[in-house]
Amino acid sequence: MAYVSVMRPRKWLLKAVAAIVLAQWITGAVIIARADAPQPDPAGIATGDRTSTSDAGGNSFVVTEPTDKTAPDYAKNEQAFKDFQAQADKEPLAMKLADNLGHLRISTNFSWTLLTGYLVLFMQAGFALLTCGLVRKKNAGHLMMLNFAAYVFAFLAYYVCGFAFQYGGTAINAAPTNLGGTPTLNHFLLGSGLWGFLGGKGFFLSGPAYDSGSLCLTLFEVVFMETAGYIIVGAICERITFWAFLLCEIFIGGILYPSFGCWVWGGGWMSQLGNTMGWGHGYVDFAGSTVVHGVGGFCAMALAVILGPRIGKYDKNGKPRAFPAHNLVYVVTGTFILLFGWMGFNPGSTLGASDLRISVVAVNTNLAAVGGAASAMVLWYFMFGKPDVTMACNGMLAGLVAITAPCAFVSPNSAVLIGIIAGVIVDLGVLFNERVIKVDDPCGAISVHGYCGWFGAVAVGIFADGTYGSGWNGVGPTTYLGKAGQGVTGLIHGDVSQFFMQIGGATFMAIYIFAFTYIVFSIVNAISPMRVSKEVELEGLDVPEFGLSAYPEDEIVSTEAA
Amino acid sequence: MKRIEAVIKPSKLDEVKASITALGITGLTVFEVKGFGRQKGHTEMYRGTEYVVDFLPKVLISVVVVEEMVEPLVKAIAENARTGKIGDGKIFVSSLDEVVRIRTGERGRDAI
Repeated sequence: MAYVSVMRPRKWLLKAVAAIVLAQWITGAVIIARADAPQPDPAGIATGDRTSTSDAGGNSFVVTEPTDKTAPDYAKNEQAFKDFQAQADKEPLAMKLADNLGHLRISTNFSWTLLTGYLVLFMQAGFALLTCGLVRKKNAGHLMMLNFAAYVFAFLAYYVCGFAFQYGGTAINAAPTNLGGTPTLNHFLLGSGLWGFLGGKGFFLSGPAYDSGSLCLTLFEVVFMETAGYIIVGAICERITFWAFLLCEIFIGGILYPSFGCWVWGGGWMSQLGNTMGWGHGYVDFAGSTVVHGVGGFCAMALAVILGPRIGKYDKNGKPRAFPAHNLVYVVTGTFILLFGWMGFNPGSTLGASDLRISVVAVNTNLAAVGGAASAMVLWYFMFGKPDVTMACNGMLAGLVAITAPCAFVSPNSAVLIGIIAGVIVDLGVLFNERVIKVDDPCGAISVHGYCGWFGAVAVGIFADGTYGSGWNGVGPTTYLGKAGQGVTGLIHGDVSQFFMQIGGATFMAIYIFAFTYIVFSIVNAISPMRVSKEVELEGLDVPEFGLSAYPEDEIVSTEAA
Repeated sequence: MKRIEAVIKPSKLDEVKASITALGITGLTVFEVKGFGRQKGHTEMYRGTEYVVDFLPKVLISVVVVEEMVEPLVKAIAENARTGKIGDGKIFVSSLDEVVRIRTGERGRDAI
């Protein structure tokens, strides 16, 4: 029972948290009470009307009055508005129909977003199986508990402040029009305008965030955050204490993931670099190669460096020893579940089925998956004589991670190529971590998610072909690179600035995430070591940490208590 | 000819094996066993009910050697398997009547 004392709460920390909570609660209530603040719509009655109705090209049914009297085409737009108004007055039934259609479009997109979000949620099970199978039998229960607790505690941290930090200001630069725009999330806590650093509305998913559109976004985004949360398990397992792990999850869900997520997806400064600095369409990451996987991978790397390798992993000459996976059945099943869940991860990131690019995304995702698995297997076969099952699975995941950023912007041929390259990166990355820098990564999380996540963002800057993403991050809404409707474009198709934006942004992510995690948890580790004792690690963490063995038939149990 | 059986902690197997092979011993058999000596098991809780884990995982190494090798081997095993904490294990030395190598049919000291 010695572990009970390790979990005692730090009282001053609890008091500080309570103070912050109270302050945000009051602030949120005051903001909503102001008459001019957009009102949240918790019943979903006011979300989705004729203003949400549009055609396939994204052209709105409703013509709005032009506000800029100095614009060159003001007269033309003003006339178009007057014509529309006249027509609208003559056909009230058509306007009611437009309201219904708008609502139908939004509800289609709500169901799409929520259902794909549930698929991503199911990836938790896939990752739990995958990582459990990859470690030693004596730690199977520990791995399962880490994956389980990751979901629980990161979610709570995201509920308290993570979502608010990430999306509190999203209506300013990145309103999700497919979901009705979430107009109540319109304030940056840190920064403003095109230079947002942290959102400031929606703490405790209350007040401005207690809105049907906002919570639809929350569900989808929380499961993405959870993905980053469980990635770290793969690198820190078999030697981390449970309390330290909970701190990691709260850190990821509460600030690490939301901060970078705000900068790229919440309308923050990285997404606006196309507008502020003219760097392509700003930093582009469609479904999160860096926002999710890169963040998870490099956070995992920092933690793995702090924890150190497992006992016995490196002999006294620094030569690595193998700790073979205890259950390949779990590894492959877990990988398939992750592949299935990725059908929600990537296509879902359109936040709407009204965006028909979803089919291209789905196919690209699969192509990269199989390209990655194939190249990882083939390369490993030529290097070592046999295709390794676990490396094949890692290869598929590498392809999936790498295509996550570019999936909406590239052709199927590019998708296959991206997958193939990712398979090579993961094979070499695993060997590099194990043999060169000697960072012990039991499940290859750093290589699959960190290195391939970085590559995925860079791949946008190389392979994006401009067929999608017109007006992305507010850049080039009508024309880009001299062509009408040109979308996000990479190096091969003529946009050099996007390439440098992607490489710079992805590298910045790696450094920021690694450094932030390393600093915070070096301090934690210095206050109280995050690693279990030698005896516990040798025995296996199942019984000492949780009092339960995953496979208790291995321990003959008395029927009488002592 | 003597048989040496040693019940040791599983985490010590690699070291003990290395020390045995360093002495020139060319074969050994390893069993995964459960047991207890004076090191008792421990009590755990499962969904509100206590249960006792009496038998702890151990490893039993069995080596057959000629008389001259017994003392060096016993010393090597004891030194390498020792952690100083309870549960380190025991070594048993017993006499053997006959040893046969199946492939060639050799008997006695030649078969070791």
